[in-house]
Amino acid sequence: MAIVAQSSKYGKLGRTVLAWTVGLLFFFPIFWLVLTSFKTDADAVKPEFLFFFTPTLENYLNMTENYDYWRFATNSVITSVFATIFALAVGIPCAYAMAFNPTRATKDVLMWMLSTKMLPAAAVLYPMTFLTKSIGLFDTHFMVIVVLMLINLPIVIWMLFTYFKEIPKEIIEAGQMDGVNTWGEIKEILIPLAWGGIASTALLCFIFCWNEAYWTVRLTTTEAATLSKLIEGNRAPEGLFFGRLSAVSAAAVGPIIVLGWFCQKQLVQGLTFGAVK
Amino acid sequence: MSNRTLPRLLQSPAVILLLIWMLIPLSMTLYFSFIRYVLNSLRRPEWTSPSFSNWRGFGNYEFVLNSKDFLFAIQNSLLIVCSILFLTVILGVLIAVLINKTFPGQGIVRVLLISPFFVMPAVNAVLWINMILDPVLGLQGIAVGGLNDLVAGLRDAPVVGWFFSLWPEFNPISFRATQTSAYAVIIMVTWQWTPFAVLIFMTSLQSEDQQQKEAAILDGASAWSQFRFLTLPHLGRPIAIVVMIQAIFHLSLYAEIEIVSRGNGNKNLPYLIGEFANNNIGAASATGIFAVILANIVAIFLLRMVGKTLME
Repeated sequence: MAIVAQSSKYGKLGRTVLAWTVGLLFFFPIFWLVLTSFKTDADAVKPEFLFFFTPTLENYLNMTENYDYWRFATNSVITSVFATIFALAVGIPCAYAMAFNPTRATKDVLMWMLSTKMLPAAAVLYPMTFLTKSIGLFDTHFMVIVVLMLINLPIVIWMLFTYFKEIPKEIIEAGQMDGVNTWGEIKEILIPLAWGGIASTALLCFIFCWNEAYWTVRLTTTEAATLSKLIEGNRAPEGLFFGRLSAVSAAAVGPIIVLGWFCQKQLVQGLTFGAVK
Repeated sequence: MSNRTLPRLLQSPAVILLLIWMLIPLSMTLYFSFIRYVLNSLRRPEWTSPSFSNWRGFGNYEFVLNSKDFLFAIQNSLLIVCSILFLTVILGVLIAVLINKTFPGQGIVRVLLISPFFVMPAVNAVLWINMILDPVLGLQGIAVGGLNDLVAGLRDAPVVGWFFSLWPEFNPISFRATQTSAYAVIIMVTWQWTPFAVLIFMTSLQSEDQQQKEAAILDGASAWSQFRFLTLPHLGRPIAIVVMIQAIFHLSLYAEIEIVSRGNGNKNLPYLIGEFANNNIGAASATGIFAVILANIVAIFLLRMVGKTLME
């Protein structure tokens, strides 16, 4: 027995070291991005300043001047927030009806919604450009919000549906007995009960909107351009601007990574549509 | 009455919106794919606006099928998607099993591991291709340069010098060539999506039947056979789900390809469509229809595999 305990002690140590190594390796690129963002553009490409250098805030202080960061960031916030709000506004009633009054068609409707996610965006690239340009909505916040909402709506409905399904039907029925109308049921019973689920759906939807990089790049030029567009437009600095590009990139992903840390669990449930618990 | 109509009414905004979103652009793509339609043409100005009189039948499809880029783009799409799926599933299972048991700092390691998943694709690509993989200025270039200097220094060392004089001069790999940039895309997307696989497998491992496992240990089952006969079958369903979700996302991979491969010939279907759409809308639309067909084949296959389990 002693031998077993001994070997498992070493085994545990080995596993701990290995696990930490893997974790640090995966985090390293992000660490590197943040580290580079504190170097001047000149220092960023010099091997002698790899880890030891004089840190500077210059890149962050000049973000507005160099890249007009705040304009793009504001656009990202506006489009992501409103797309999330609209997706919830359309998604909550829909998921509510599906969870508490399911019909034979409900499963098929849910599957069909998921299948719209599989439609390759590129296939409808030109019609979307053509349509938005011809009705004068190309490069507007409104268009970006609508598109972001539509591409995330299936996932939002699926997530909400899996959360609502967990709520006992009797609670809703009790509300109906008391003569509460549907709007009242949603507002007074459903939303307070499913608050956690709704919040994590909103968070995940927001993250997806923020990171979206097909339509935001193709349907905007300047007015409604988001951070994805900003980074995509400065993709090849040829080593000249590593420092400042790192700073603006770190500023673009930092808040979302922190948000993501808080919704790991919900991410699993949401992205697997409740199939993995 | 309200038992039936009200639920329908509540669902209708979502259903109608998604229906419009699906049908209108897609039917336009279908229409454009059968006509001659280009954005700029001095010789044939009548082709620059969509019209039934420019009907081309399956001409655009023929044109796309005959262009050498098309087959390459399909192969490349499949190469990229399959490699990413393979790598993320293998790495995901290994890492999930590794960090599933408690160890000091487990929470922190989890947070470190999941972080790449939230990096926006544009930043992911810019970061990897410039700051890390660049053959001269990136970490790769610096590391290879450092290694060469080290080996050169050791050649003059006593005793072991002869050994290092056998070593060649190392060359950094450029990830901006046609084929290597596909590898760069695979590396960066694998980095981003392995955490997702880990997270899902870990969640699933926590619901693994511990009694069964203890019984196996008492029976003297080795760690490998526990993994092979208990853990792996338990992970079957999450693996299928990870494959399905990633296939959906990676078939329409765009930002990474756009940033890494602009102008060097490495393309997948979405990128090829974007290229055609600069002028030849007919060809872009026909390619789009091919992309839809490919996505449908994959979707039908995947939904058959996991669709039923989703509804339980």
